Amino acid sequence: MSTDSNSKVQGSKGSKQAVQTTGHAWDGDIQEFNNPLPTWWVWAFYATIVFAVIYWVLYPAWPIGRDYTKGVMNDIEYTDASGKTVTRHWNTRSLLDKEMVQAKAEQKKYLDQLAAASIEEIAKDDEKSNFAYSMAKVLFADNCAACHQPGGAGVVGSYPNLADDDWLWGGSFKDIKTTITNGRNGYMPSFKAALSSEKIDDVAEYVLSLSKHKTDAAKTARGKAIFNGQEGGCYYCHTKAGTGMVSMGSANLTDSIWTLADVPSADTLEAKKAAVKQVIMNGVNRKMPVWKERLTDTQIKILAFYVHQLGGGK
Amino acid sequence: MSATSQVSPQSYNYDIVKMFTIMALVWGILGMFTGVYIASELTWPILNFDTPEITFGRLRPVHTTLVIFGFGGSALFATSYYVVQRTCQTRLWGELLPSYTFWGWQIAVASAAVSYMLGYTQAREYAEMVWPIDILIAVTWVAYLVIYVMTLRKRSQPHIYVANWFFIAFILATAILHIFNNMAMPVGLFSLSSYSLHAGVQDAMTQWWYGHNAVGFFLTAAFLGMMYYFVPKQAGRPVYSYRLSIIHFWALIFLYMWVGAHHLHWTALPDWTSTLAATFSILLLLPSWGGMINGIMTLSGAWERLRSDPVVRFLIVALAFYGMSTFEGPLMSLKSVNALSHYTDWTIGHVHSGALGWVAMVTFGSFYHLIPRLWETEFYSKRLINVHFYLAVVGIILYISALWVAGIGQGLMWRAFDSYGNLAYTFIETVEFLHLPYFMRTLGGAFFVTGIIVMGYNTYMTIRKSRLEKAEFEAKIAAKMASAQ
Repeated sequence: MSTDSNSKVQGSKGSKQAVQTTGHAWDGDIQEFNNPLPTWWVWAFYATIVFAVIYWVLYPAWPIGRDYTKGVMNDIEYTDASGKTVTRHWNTRSLLDKEMVQAKAEQKKYLDQLAAASIEEIAKDDEKSNFAYSMAKVLFADNCAACHQPGGAGVVGSYPNLADDDWLWGGSFKDIKTTITNGRNGYMPSFKAALSSEKIDDVAEYVLSLSKHKTDAAKTARGKAIFNGQEGGCYYCHTKAGTGMVSMGSANLTDSIWTLADVPSADTLEAKKAAVKQVIMNGVNRKMPVWKERLTDTQIKILAFYVHQLGGGK
Repeated sequence: MSATSQVSPQSYNYDIVKMFTIMALVWGILGMFTGVYIASELTWPILNFDTPEITFGRLRPVHTTLVIFGFGGSALFATSYYVVQRTCQTRLWGELLPSYTFWGWQIAVASAAVSYMLGYTQAREYAEMVWPIDILIAVTWVAYLVIYVMTLRKRSQPHIYVANWFFIAFILATAILHIFNNMAMPVGLFSLSSYSLHAGVQDAMTQWWYGHNAVGFFLTAAFLGMMYYFVPKQAGRPVYSYRLSIIHFWALIFLYMWVGAHHLHWTALPDWTSTLAATFSILLLLPSWGGMINGIMTLSGAWERLRSDPVVRFLIVALAFYGMSTFEGPLMSLKSVNALSHYTDWTIGHVHSGALGWVAMVTFGSFYHLIPRLWETEFYSKRLINVHFYLAVVGIILYISALWVAGIGQGLMWRAFDSYGNLAYTFIETVEFLHLPYFMRTLGGAFFVTGIIVMGYNTYMTIRKSRLEKAEFEAKIAAKMASAQ
């Protein structure tokens, strides 16, 4: 290319041949050798072209008008959900269909068994309960864990703990299944308007005395009267013994388990009372959604089995 | 070596190069720091502080905009203005227009970053800027093109040097990409919101046609232009092969435009589009390596310089990472590999092996060559250049290996089934798994940002030294003049 013989310089390492530069120089000293393309580079480039052409032949590749080349020797054959045998040229949608149909067919034998069995039977049978556990783990994580937390421990003040043996709405297989199927409305009215703050204070004192806290005797007595009388009417739901009713979802106030007022983590009696008073003043309005529209009956059964064994199923 | 007009350094427009160089470092430090901060937010979500302006979602485009357009863009303006003048042996065309490109670009980058934090975005990846900023960028970019073409036209060299082919291809392609991707109808004259002119699958295609060519032309072709000037210059050796540079230039320019759809495998995109994107990505491998071969073989006569010259070290590591990530890219673009890698952090790791390993390293190397020549002095500390080099390399390696683990692990966990055909892991378990790799990634990023801060300090001290030397020199001249009288 060049006539400038002064620019004959030794070329790449190893080559004994002198390689010429193109003869130009920029910015004083930038020159260019005119080495040939490395052979391995050229052949590797050809190899990628061969690879691409083979790919184009096998898979859908080039658009032609409103159509495209479909690819050869690469058909997808499978039985679809309705039992028909389908043959399609290679495409990602059919791949997904095929995989889904196969996966569902594999799980069907277990799901059919579970659908026919009661939860008690599932719990007794090793293979059934292993499958139920494997499926429930993901069902629970995808649908329940957002509120009840991955381990089912819930959040005090908002979402009940599913991993202990205390149940607002009952802890039998049947109760848990009903809860998931139809959802629950946990309701307690607000007493802010109905009771003066002194009276709310007295009721809170009494409520704490139910769970063996050392409280002021006079206040406790006044609170008990309100709790069990027409003025507060707390006993309608919580019963006179304070043990609550499963049919109402009302909490047992005599144990040391609290789902709304964070009594256990408060240090002083005053702080514990403040937590209880908040609940009495504001009332409760919490909802567990209805799941029967999103999950199948078998899935709910599997979840009930899972929740039952998280902590203290009854 | 032509005996034609030797232009003296004084007649080059170095002021504009200096301004862009300094801003590249400023945006680099800010953008990379933002990167480390959002990486920390992923590791410790509490750092979002429930403050909308600094949540991950808003800071992420701040990070990408500052590093790609602030740091990368300013570095490209600086080096391209420098290279075109030196290799054409002529002063940059225009006086006011180059200054306009500086202010237009800086205002665009700054207002983009602020607008994202305030919640204004058009939600197109790497093109989040709202329409008024898009218009500012388009006008600035056309001015850049005019300056570049006019400077090339008045060159006093018969041939256009290879670096300038790459720069001009980058400027042209970026203009086309920017304008087509951002075509939109504003909701109102006083509204920052707009509707894209594209819709559905075409919109997705347009976004990734832009997105991948931002990588191809902005972050590859342009930085190859940088490489083609600074590597032979620093090594003091001729470019290895003129022929190879022609072949791989045209192959790159032709092939890059096809591959954007490989970001959309396994989506609603037609399968044939996906296939073309994958195969063109494979075809792109060797042309990409052409640039790496030309760079490394240019250095090959000067291996001993690796021992003594930290600038050469930056350049060789940059080329090695360029080769590595242009191998990884085509691999990830194959549908079957993509089925594992897509939506995982592997993609982010891959981007950073290119962005930190190639783009940033070749910029650092070029700047270490450029800065002493612009300010006509020696670098303040060669030791600190070495410190920067090791911080950067350790940072990159930590970063990308952490995200290989994160991404491949994540991908495998998502698709794992137990013996009953149920998912083996819940989503939250895959998130928990990411914590440690995310921490390692943050650490890698912290190393890297420390490196560029060291560079910023070294540059500041160099400029200060240059001023002192100049003042001393002038004082001497003045003294001589006085004594002569």
